[in-house]
Amino acid sequence: MDIQLSHVKKSFGDTSVIKDVSFTIAAGEICCLLGPSGSGKTTLIRLMIGALPPDSGTIRFGDIEMPNRAILKRLGFMPQNDALYEDLSAHGNLKFFGGLYPIPKRTLDARIKEVLEMVELTGHSQKLVKNFSGGMKKRLSLAIAILHKPDILFLDEPTAGIDPVLRRKIWAQFQSLKAQGTTIIVSTHVMDEVVECDKGALLYNGRLIEYDTVNRLLDKTASGRIEELFFAASESEARP
Amino acid sequence: MIQLAKRVIRQTINDKRSVMLILVAPLLILTLVYFLLGDSDYVATVAIDRDAVAAPVITALEQQELNVVGLTAQEAEQAADYLQHNEDVDAVLRFSETSAMDITLYEPSTKGATAMSEIQKAMADLNPSAETTISYVYGTQDQSLFDSLGYVFLALFSFFFVFIISAMALVRERSRGTLERLMMTPIRRGEVIAGYTLGYSVFAIIQAVIIVLYAIFVLQLSNEGNIGWVLLPMVLLAVTAVSFGATISIFAGSELQVVQLIPFTIIPQVFFSGLIPLDLIPYHLGNLSYIMPIYYGAAAIKGIMVYGDGFTEIWGHLAGLTTYALVLYLINTQALKKFRKL
Ligand SMILES: Nc1ncnc2c1ncn2[C@@H]1O[C@H](COP(=O)(O)OP(=O)(O)O)[C@@H](O)[C@H]1O
Ligand SMILES: [Mg+2]
Repeated sequence: MDIQLSHVKKSFGDTSVIKDVSFTIAAGEICCLLGPSGSGKTTLIRLMIGALPPDSGTIRFGDIEMPNRAILKRLGFMPQNDALYEDLSAHGNLKFFGGLYPIPKRTLDARIKEVLEMVELTGHSQKLVKNFSGGMKKRLSLAIAILHKPDILFLDEPTAGIDPVLRRKIWAQFQSLKAQGTTIIVSTHVMDEVVECDKGALLYNGRLIEYDTVNRLLDKTASGRIEELFFAASESEARP
Repeated sequence: MIQLAKRVIRQTINDKRSVMLILVAPLLILTLVYFLLGDSDYVATVAIDRDAVAAPVITALEQQELNVVGLTAQEAEQAADYLQHNEDVDAVLRFSETSAMDITLYEPSTKGATAMSEIQKAMADLNPSAETTISYVYGTQDQSLFDSLGYVFLALFSFFFVFIISAMALVRERSRGTLERLMMTPIRRGEVIAGYTLGYSVFAIIQAVIIVLYAIFVLQLSNEGNIGWVLLPMVLLAVTAVSFGATISIFAGSELQVVQLIPFTIIPQVFFSGLIPLDLIPYHLGNLSYIMPIYYGAAAIKGIMVYGDGFTEIWGHLAGLTTYALVLYLINTQALKKFRKL
């Protein structure tokens, strides 16, 4: 199921945060939303999943226009902040969110075990989340997002604040999810992570300055570093 | 919905402070109120100039539950001065030339009132024709303030603690982003509020049972009606408090702001809960009580505990409370549209 954005605009008060963004994310790809902090990555993700209504423009998942409640079953979302219940254990959080989907109880219990292993939290499953470290919270949040095996996974800065070893493991998991057919939209401000993705969507001040395959994006640069494309954008914006 | 209710219950149990606030705090404050408003064995002290007062009057005074102390004629002249310097004396009693009684009290207080009523009893003993008999349609003369106002506190507590806990939990849910995450699952908007209400209702029922049993059996709060009927408005009040908390959480950006809003949300309701008789409030402001959930609950609880009413007498108030809860439920479901249109 492709995701098509067409002329999507969004402002908060007087400040325009998403400025006429149009692009299509093909099913089964990993699409990276890349941009400096404050460029509108989180807002764009919230628009796509229907948490925010756009001021104008449309967002379609295949033939279905968002927002749509039936789509929500097939959608996984990992917010930028942790969005966990601190007074519940890791297992309690998974059990609660899992219970909101139409999953049979026995399947759910097995699946909870599986995702806890994936994010290496099996040993901490009974611990209350308020006693978790930042990295553990991130991993639990990821576990919740993939728990119901969504077809489309939205991840807002999933690797921020995670050490390099774990970061590599998490990216390996994204690759294996992709291999199972999941479409992944992942935002990051770490430019190096773009090489893991199929497509890169470069956001700068709410504008989509580039959208292409990662290889072609890298070809456009002289040094092979994606930052260059942002420097160019900042210069052209500085000119009147 | 059941999932959400279960989560609310588990989450509340895991947070010891919430459990204390719902189950222990009401008992603690109720006990305090009991001692503050309950019967005290206070014995008032009255000063008289023994030389200027007739012997039978002195005897009659001494037969009451009073400490009678003597003072000089000069001190009696300056009664106000004397009371200021003798803090343990509550009243100075004098007789003028026409033998009219002249009582000076330190200040209008319950101590002064105790002194007054004992002096009156002494006078009635002297002159049986002046005796007055007071009887009440509801309650008896020896009931304390705790007996006549206790129901107000049952209503206040059922509302207040659940309100605070649920409003804070919902504000946290907004600010931590869990509400947005929740709304990105297939759950229905109505289910979110209903699940919350259901979860807290469990605590509301436990709380109501504990408070009522404690008030009636331990603190001996007088109750004319059926205990079962008392529980009904208390639980309904708590259910309304969850919806009320959810509505307030829309206007509060943080948990601290829930506390800051208490002067607007809770304190006015305290005044209209029965502590002050509503028909004494000027400019028809008493009618404001109809927009205050605690008023409905308190009125129903009063009906049962003070007048011995049953369902036929209190259903109007219960209906008012239920309507209130339903309206808030609809407002809250609409407010969730901010997170998801559908
Ligand atoms: N709810 C909101 N109300 C007002 N301004 C917002 C809101 N959400 C985001 N913004 C503003 O929109 C811009 C983009 O924010 P965001 O999408 O969070 O960027 P990013 O995720 O790329 O860091 C920022 O300037 C931010 O201050
Ligand atoms: Mg962001």
